[in-house]
Amino acid sequence: MSAIFKREWKCMFSGMLGYALCAAYVLVGGLYFWVYNLLNLYPDFGYTLYGTTFAMLVFIPILTMRSLAEERRSHTDQLLLTAPVGVPSLVAGKYLAMAAVFTVPVAILGLCPLVMRLYGTVSLPKAYGALLGYWLLGCAGIAIGLFFSGLTDSPIIAALSTFGVLLLSYLMPGIQSLFAVGSLLALGVFGLLAALAGLLAGIRSRSLMLGMLVFLALCAALLALYALRSATLTSAFTALLGALGLFTPFENFIYGIFSIPAVIYYLSITALFLFLAGQGLEKRRWS
Amino acid sequence: MIQAEHLTRRYGARVAVEDLSFTVPTGQICGLLGPNGAGKTTTLNVLTGYLAASEGRVIVSGHDILEEPMAARRQLGYLPEQPPLYPEMTVEEYLRFVAELRRVPRAERSAQVRRAMNRVAAADMARRLIRNLSKGYRQRVGLAAALLGDPEVLILDEPTVGLDPAQMIEFRTLIRQLGRKHTVILSSHILSEVSAVCDQVLILSRGRLMAQGTPDQLADRLAGRARLQILVLGQADTAAAAVKALEGVCEVKADPESEGRARLTVTLDAGAAPQQQAAVSLALAAAGCAVLRLEAEAMSLEEVFLQLTETPQEGDQEE
Repeated sequence: MSAIFKREWKCMFSGMLGYALCAAYVLVGGLYFWVYNLLNLYPDFGYTLYGTTFAMLVFIPILTMRSLAEERRSHTDQLLLTAPVGVPSLVAGKYLAMAAVFTVPVAILGLCPLVMRLYGTVSLPKAYGALLGYWLLGCAGIAIGLFFSGLTDSPIIAALSTFGVLLLSYLMPGIQSLFAVGSLLALGVFGLLAALAGLLAGIRSRSLMLGMLVFLALCAALLALYALRSATLTSAFTALLGALGLFTPFENFIYGIFSIPAVIYYLSITALFLFLAGQGLEKRRWS
Repeated sequence: MIQAEHLTRRYGARVAVEDLSFTVPTGQICGLLGPNGAGKTTTLNVLTGYLAASEGRVIVSGHDILEEPMAARRQLGYLPEQPPLYPEMTVEEYLRFVAELRRVPRAERSAQVRRAMNRVAAADMARRLIRNLSKGYRQRVGLAAALLGDPEVLILDEPTVGLDPAQMIEFRTLIRQLGRKHTVILSSHILSEVSAVCDQVLILSRGRLMAQGTPDQLADRLAGRARLQILVLGQADTAAAAVKALEGVCEVKADPESEGRARLTVTLDAGAAPQQQAAVSLALAAAGCAVLRLEAEAMSLEEVFLQLTETPQEGDQEE
């Protein structure tokens, strides 16, 4: 794992890419810091961070696009997958290296609250709590990017799909409010999800029967819910959309709440996508 | 030592390798020979565990490649068709990375990297960026990487493709030297290369094992074949039918020619002894086809190889 971590880190900073990414990020962060905190005298560093979350939409896809796609394209995955290194440590090495690169601009931005403190009263726990949440949010995004990079051998496609997914989750609060309507729509969407689950179960077990049964069972449960307590269905739908909004839980940190659920949410997103990325690599051996 | 037991590999419905079994003992060089698309690369990818076999198993030095992957992969050095190099690293950086990846203890890394570079005569290039290396040197660096960690089994996919003739000879000498201590499996579509370097040859065609043995055995068995070119007066079909039934005849091709003549190409299993030739001409006469001309020629190993690897293709079309 350490070999892969070191190589990945060196690769980032042997060319321009690592420096350019970090510099651009610090520039955006610095700009917001200047406008919010220095010009307009906001004492809250969290707002500055909140303002810069959009920069992740660009930073993360570029950072992660090459990680697995490029290995596949240049056939170096043959080296990695036949070396005495397990897929989990391979994925972990890659992920930690990229998380470390992201940590560089975040650490530099971490100096800002100290600068503010020189000139006034600043709540450091609040500022650094927000910074931690911010960092976790970015790390979860990187895991998503790593997963998409493993799906293709083209870094461009990896970057675009990561960007698309991050953008969607960035806009999720708006989308959520658009869809906050009738339970029939919710029923439709959940029905579609049930069909997907049935299809997956069917393919996984190679049995048409099992897939159908899963689908029918889920549909029956949904219909029962719809008939008896349709409000539950609507709220479940809203909750589902909410869970897809990667950037929403971070808002807690800005208001000075150190939200444990948010921390757990980001850690689980990270773990889930790293697991999926590993599974994707392992699956290629078999297909 | 490496063992393959009943390997089958499918890509969806397409079968790339079918029921392949062989054993290569330590200190032997085994050549995998076959035309393009015969399943050589797939076989090697399955042997190294890069791909999983659909059926069957691979055992490297007593470890199953899928059940004890870490132990098995430690004993495997793999040079794929396209060497897995990172262009932005220098040769030395790259080899150090591979050494660490292959779990060479920190204290031995420098020594092993230097030894591997000397082994493939690439020590002058240690500080060069891999992106600036020629194809020959890339191949050497790839081989050096496969040697790190001192694996027992070396698997080389078309190691001499793209090299100039001098480099080819150098590479073959190197492989022969490596074969003394390691188990080497290499693939190639060049017969002379395999027969010059290997102790054992497997001939693959369309994913199936067509022949197996030492180069000498194959040469004895195959070069013993001879071909008769016969011009007869009569129907091509009748002539072919008359010859096909004879003992020692393994293949007959008949083409009708002008003026009621036919040209027969008959492949004989055990050389063109005079008795054989006589038997053929008598059989033709008995079928009412007069022999106008009969010439015997020996077949080279190349031709036999081509014949072996082409036959099943025709068979497939008949099915």
